[in-house]
Amino acid sequence: MTNTARFFRRQWKGYIFLLPIFLVLGTFKYIPFFNAVKMSFYDWNGANVKEFVGFDNFVRLFQDDTFYASLKNIGIFTVSGVLIQLTVPLLAAVLVFHVKQLRLQNLLKVWFVVPLVIPSIVIYLTWQWIFAGEYGVLNQLLEQLGLESWTHAWLGESKTAIWSIVFVNFPWIGGITFLLYLAGLMSIPSELFEVAKLDGMNAWQRFIRLELPLVRSQVKLVMVLTIINQIQSFENVLVLTNGGPGDKTITPALYLYTKGFSYSEMGYASAIGLVLFIILLLLTLINNKFVKNTDKID
Amino acid sequence: MNKKLLAVPHFGTLALLLALTLFPFYMLLVSSLKYTEQAIHNFWGVAFPLHLDNYSVAFKQIAPFIGNTALISTAIVVGVVIISSLAAYSFVRFDYPGKQLFFVLILSLMMIPGYLILIPQFLLVQKLDMLNTYQGQIFPPMAFGAAMATFLMKTFFEGLPKSLLEAADMEGAGERQIFLRIVIPLSLPIIATVAIINFLAGWNNYIWPLVATNGDAVKPVILALSTITGNMDQGIGVKLAGYIISSFPLLLLFIVATKPFISGVTSGAVKG
Repeated sequence: MTNTARFFRRQWKGYIFLLPIFLVLGTFKYIPFFNAVKMSFYDWNGANVKEFVGFDNFVRLFQDDTFYASLKNIGIFTVSGVLIQLTVPLLAAVLVFHVKQLRLQNLLKVWFVVPLVIPSIVIYLTWQWIFAGEYGVLNQLLEQLGLESWTHAWLGESKTAIWSIVFVNFPWIGGITFLLYLAGLMSIPSELFEVAKLDGMNAWQRFIRLELPLVRSQVKLVMVLTIINQIQSFENVLVLTNGGPGDKTITPALYLYTKGFSYSEMGYASAIGLVLFIILLLLTLINNKFVKNTDKID
Repeated sequence: MNKKLLAVPHFGTLALLLALTLFPFYMLLVSSLKYTEQAIHNFWGVAFPLHLDNYSVAFKQIAPFIGNTALISTAIVVGVVIISSLAAYSFVRFDYPGKQLFFVLILSLMMIPGYLILIPQFLLVQKLDMLNTYQGQIFPPMAFGAAMATFLMKTFFEGLPKSLLEAADMEGAGERQIFLRIVIPLSLPIIATVAIINFLAGWNNYIWPLVATNGDAVKPVILALSTITGNMDQGIGVKLAGYIISSFPLLLLFIVATKPFISGVTSGAVKG
């Protein structure tokens, strides 16, 4: 009884503080989410045609060549993204970490993350200009070097388009990965480096025996983040190639967007979104079960 | 001896990597100051006279859209900070049935990717008559930022000294006073981080305004970039100048608030 009385005197106010956030989330996230799930079972053009079709959208999706092309493309993005993010930014972070002059180290840190500060669309548009066929920076460079025969309309040709997208942001340092590695290295106790020095380790031995094992959790995190991000590739492709030429660079998220807004097949588009969401959910579960657990074991 | 020998590849590699990282921005900068004529004759270097007029031409074209973006991003930040700090305060200060469930309900939203709800969100905003409005560009991104922000703020609030809040209770201060006079002033670092994450996200938003707006009235600057044009003489210099102008506010933010900026982008990526 006293508990109830106390609850009514004070704790009920907790609900009031929650009210604004649930109004916003309820309207703009929960309702759209349930609608997205519901719509994937409908044939729907967003306006007048709306018919329940059961699993038809999904059946059609698994017979859709473009969908398989999009899966193949995010496969390429994911594998190359992981390979890239696990190497070059780590190398850069180790090199910056071992700069002994603190001012210079800070300066390098700041300059390396400049690409992170520029709006992502500006980055994509800049790389679009670099890859342009006529007066593109890359082609100009090749001509300067006497390699005219190597020039391409990089984003427009089916052989080069997808790899050009992978190459955006080369040398791929200016990102969060670099900062994560650097933070990991900074948290290694300095005594360990003293010991390494006394043992006479060279830079490579120090990297393999000391630094790499101790930034292992960052490496895992980067891997998970990269996989999740690459599977969802959308904006970069939309700006750079819009999925073309043909379906050479299309991704599931971009396919959803095209189907939904250019063809008004909103039910089918929602089915694409749902399948992609389930793939991501499974990957997250696998990650929680295996990757996180191994951390606890060692 | 050995040390000096090692320093050469060390700094050499760093210099090369830094040069490659900054090269696109160097090209952007020098080319934004050229007319077509200069770009043809001198593609790689700085060409004189510097055509600062490219910047004024570009600025004239995108100024109203920069205003739109500034307004939208600021409103998103204010909204997220308000609703998330209230929710975080509720989770830390009170004890009521369903608290854990509500928290999980908010957190699980971070799992829902943007494109999945893009279409229903568009239809909803259409139904609410919010297409081509500021509100239509403020509320949905606000909902996206709120989950992460609530998580960050809750963690921070939990670290505030309990004795301080208890003392305020003893003094008979009301919840509103404790929240506004004690918790918020002590939480400025995390508010800065949350504000930067959401300001960046707001400035960078591309897909959502692409879907939720058409025409010029409320268009954000990111969408206006592709429409910047110069005349024959000016060439693409004007366009590139526009890219730089639209990046400038974020660069400025980075310079004045480097620390919260970096902690903001990293925690934004890691999602707690």
